[in-house]
Amino acid sequence: MLAIYKKEMRTYFTNMMGYVFLAFLLLLIGIFFTLLNVRSMDGNFHFVLANVTVFFFILVPVLTMRLFSEESRQKTDQLLYTSPLTVTGIVLGKFFAALSLFLIGVAVTVVMPFLLRNYGDLPVAQIAGAYIGFVLLGAACIAIGVFVSVLTESQIIAAVGTMGAIFVMFLSDAIAVSMPTSTFASLMFVLFVIACVVAVWYNSTRRILAAVIVGIIGLAVAGGLYIFNDLIFDGIIVRVLLWFSIFTRFDFFARGALRISDIVYYISFAALFIYLTVNVIEKRRWR
Amino acid sequence: MIEVRNLTKKYGARKAIDELSFTINAGEVVGFLGPNGAGKTTTMNIMTGYIAATSGEVSINGVDILAEPEMAKANIGYLPDTPPVYGDMRVREYLNFVADIKKVRKGRKEMLTHVMEQVSILDMERRLIKNLSRGYRQRVGLAQAMIGEPKVIIMDEPTIGLDPKQIIEMRDVVKRLGERHTVILSSHIMQEVSAVCDRVMIINKGKIVAQGTPEGLSEGLQKGQMQVRVKGGREEVSAAFSDVPVITSLDFADVKEEGTVELILNGEEGADIREAIFRCCARNDFPILMMKSNELSLEEVFLSLTAREACPGGYAEEADDGLCPTGAAGLGAEPHLDEVEVAEDVSDL
Repeated sequence: MLAIYKKEMRTYFTNMMGYVFLAFLLLLIGIFFTLLNVRSMDGNFHFVLANVTVFFFILVPVLTMRLFSEESRQKTDQLLYTSPLTVTGIVLGKFFAALSLFLIGVAVTVVMPFLLRNYGDLPVAQIAGAYIGFVLLGAACIAIGVFVSVLTESQIIAAVGTMGAIFVMFLSDAIAVSMPTSTFASLMFVLFVIACVVAVWYNSTRRILAAVIVGIIGLAVAGGLYIFNDLIFDGIIVRVLLWFSIFTRFDFFARGALRISDIVYYISFAALFIYLTVNVIEKRRWR
Repeated sequence: MIEVRNLTKKYGARKAIDELSFTINAGEVVGFLGPNGAGKTTTMNIMTGYIAATSGEVSINGVDILAEPEMAKANIGYLPDTPPVYGDMRVREYLNFVADIKKVRKGRKEMLTHVMEQVSILDMERRLIKNLSRGYRQRVGLAQAMIGEPKVIIMDEPTIGLDPKQIIEMRDVVKRLGERHTVILSSHIMQEVSAVCDRVMIINKGKIVAQGTPEGLSEGLQKGQMQVRVKGGREEVSAAFSDVPVITSLDFADVKEEGTVELILNGEEGADIREAIFRCCARNDFPILMMKSNELSLEEVFLSLTAREACPGGYAEEADDGLCPTGAAGLGAEPHLDEVEVAEDVSDL
């Protein structure tokens, strides 16, 4: 893992990507810092971070688009996957390299609140919370980017795909509000999800029987719940979409409220996508 | 050292390799020979754990590549058909990275220098890989495979895209590697395999068509066939030779010189018919202008074995073209495989 990490960090600074990312991140933070804090003489630095999260859909692809797609295009993935490294080690090495670069950028901005402190009191809890949330949200987005990058050989497709995924997540609470909440729609949604799970299951294991059993179990559980407690289905689409809205949770951090559940949410979100990435790679070794 | 049992890989409905089984012993230099698309690369990718087979097993040094991939892979150095190099790294930096991922700790600096020396890229160590020529990149790829002293080195078409001088150099490197490692290489070029390999496996359509030593493969097919050019008339010569007991068959090839005949003679199995030919010609006063043994080159063996399924009736034509000077009889008939194991025997092992 360390070997991959070191290599990726070196690559960020030998082919400009690292500089481009840092420049872009610092430029954005600098602009908002100037507008929101300096010009208006305001100490609420957490607003700056909150505004920059909007641009994650452009920032994160810069970090992640190259990670796996370039390996498969150059065929250097053959070197990695035939080496004695574990796939998890490879994926984590790349993930942490991207995260480290992100952290370097974030670390530089710590200067800004310290500058502001010279001119008055700061809402320390909110700013510290916003920083933690900013990093966690960044980690979750980077995990998505890593996952998209393993799906394609083209950096462009990886970048656009990551942009799209993060953007949809950004909009997901806006989308969620306009979703139907009727029981029928919810039921349809649950069926759709079950169908997706069955399709994915079959696609990865190629065992039709197992996939059918999974489908039947899913239907039984959904049916049982519907009969005994149909309230569960009430507005389930909205709830699921809101769960996926990784950006809404950032607000809690920026209000200075550190909730364990949010921290666990972000970490498990990142872990899920890393797990998926490992599986996509391992899949070629499945029968 | 390496055991492959009943390996099958399906891409959709098409079988890229089909029930492939073989064993490679420690210290052997083995060549996979086959036309493009025969399944050589797929076999190598499975053996190195890059992709999984649909069914079958591969074990390296007794370790199953699927069950314990990290342990099995530690024994393998792999040079794929495209050298897996990073363009934006320098040569030494890249090899250092490879040493990192192969977990080489002790004496790394000396080892890297030694490896670079062996493939003669020491003077390139500070160059960016993207600025290197194809031949040098190939060597960097080979150096990468040699790092960490793996027991097995697997090379997919190591000389493709190299100029003739580089090909010869590459062969020397492979020969030297063979002294200390088990080497497996693939190629569709016969001279290459016959120059460096102890054993050749001819693969076609995902199956082993034949295997044996390069000499064994070419001799085994055509033992005791002689091509003779004598001065004399066709009928007289034919009559004279039909009396010789050890000569079992006589064919005429195209006449190359006026007033001579071109004979293809087959003897009894295992018999040396050269003396009989001389005595017969001397008795009848036919001056012998040329006499040569008609051994198939590996190339011809290869063509005859790989073409057999494709165009069963096609050999006679090739023979007339002079492509296969042994004549239709030798190629069409099932060859006497003394040192050659045919695929059916192999799968029984």
